[in-house]
Amino acid sequence: MLEVEKLCVRYGKITAVDGVSFSLNEGELLAIVGANGAGKTSTLNAIMGLVKPHSGRIVFDGVDITHLEPWKRAHMGISIVPEGARPFADMTVIENLEVAAMNIDKAEAKRKMEWVFELFPRLAERKKQLAKTLSGGEKQMLAIARALVGPVKLLIMDEVSLGLMPRLVTEMFKIIERLKREKLTMLLAEQNTKKALQVADKVCVMQNGSIVLEGRPQDLLDSEEIKKAYLGI
Amino acid sequence: MLQNIVNALVLGSSYVMIAVGLTLVYGILKILHIAHAGIYAFGALFAVYLCEIGLPLVFAVTLSLILSALLGMIIYKGFYKHVLDRGRIVPLVMSVGLFATMEDLYRLMWGPYKRPFDVYIDLPDVMTMDLYLSSRGLLMLIVTAVVIVLLYLLLMRTKLGKSLRACSNDLGLAGAFGINTDRSVAFAFLIGSSLAALGGILVGLYDNTVYPTMGSVPSYKAFVVVVLGGFGSIRGAVVASYILALVETFVVYYFGFLLPRDAIAFLTMILLLMFKPEGLFGKVRR
Repeated sequence: MLEVEKLCVRYGKITAVDGVSFSLNEGELLAIVGANGAGKTSTLNAIMGLVKPHSGRIVFDGVDITHLEPWKRAHMGISIVPEGARPFADMTVIENLEVAAMNIDKAEAKRKMEWVFELFPRLAERKKQLAKTLSGGEKQMLAIARALVGPVKLLIMDEVSLGLMPRLVTEMFKIIERLKREKLTMLLAEQNTKKALQVADKVCVMQNGSIVLEGRPQDLLDSEEIKKAYLGI
Repeated sequence: MLQNIVNALVLGSSYVMIAVGLTLVYGILKILHIAHAGIYAFGALFAVYLCEIGLPLVFAVTLSLILSALLGMIIYKGFYKHVLDRGRIVPLVMSVGLFATMEDLYRLMWGPYKRPFDVYIDLPDVMTMDLYLSSRGLLMLIVTAVVIVLLYLLLMRTKLGKSLRACSNDLGLAGAFGINTDRSVAFAFLIGSSLAALGGILVGLYDNTVYPTMGSVPSYKAFVVVVLGGFGSIRGAVVASYILALVETFVVYYFGFLLPRDAIAFLTMILLLMFKPEGLFGKVRR
């Protein structure tokens, strides 16, 4: 479904992503783990089209999307939960969802809204509330819900657990597990390695903009050396 | 007292028309579109020209609004769009240059002198013991009220309005949710420019005068309104327009010998910013 080939992202003279390649099949969950500044967010943003790659190629559903505008990628089925949630702060919860559901027909939008309100009942209670007045956890829920109500085929999630209390982190990962059971293809960037490895089918470890290690979670967890050197667990 | 309030409402309405478009553009692109005032003047000058060559007022106004809207979009597509990634100073300098060029072009096209906007308005003058409101003032109040309601409905109830608000909240991210941000920005320029032109026409009608530099003072005033309202807040711009007009009118009425009207506007802005730096409805920036 997604192929990333030799992706490079630069900000001026600084190279944030340096020749990253990986692929993701339909229904799989790939976790990209690594420390702060490893290049995870830049990789995800390049796939969504929020930053322009310096070089490399991104192919989604057989189409080269490397230079495609973000809104066209969204129409193709790529959706993102950005780092820090970033809901449309001056719009209500329901308006945030309506914006994301503009590109699907009304009946489908209604069905998806009901689905996300079932996933996040707390959002249903706060439909008319401005997003900026929500708590950190609720904003993250809204960010996930907003990413799900569109025509999503590939869900990109950037640090969904960042800044949340442990109970909410567990809640978020339960949602991710549920989405996985529903066969949604997901790309997850996480600093919470332990949690990411529990849900992932494949893992890429990033360091200084490059993938230094990749494999099945269990293979990585079996090696004490790898656990200490790269995963910090 | 009543007369002063009505005068302030008329003056505030003229500020609303120009400031709302400026706010719309600032809210999305975060640039100060000074050339907006050039469109304000163009709308009035072109409508007068069309009336002079014999077109009925309604057609002249409609044509002028359409052309002004297109002019706004050309400014975005032809100029700003190419420098948006170069910080805020480059588009600002470009905007000032565009405004100066537009004023000079108007002088070349229509001459440097004041021209009357001499048309018949089919509305009555309002006259009571303590109030006089001309038909042109009444027209300004009615049109502005209709525009405010329509703009509210557009922004709150339509897909386009929600797209514009999403872009205003986070332009970078709006595209990731399927919004064609370039098209949304172009629409913001279309709407904002036609409102500025309408403002120019209404002021031209009210003062019965149009001239190439008629946008100069409104450009400063609109800037004050945008700052007072809180950068990017449409609601703030509307409220700030009327507050500013009320302050100006009453201060000029009671203390007119102290300061000219424009100085009062800037003094109000400075005082408010000292106590509420984010403006009336703006977000706190840290």
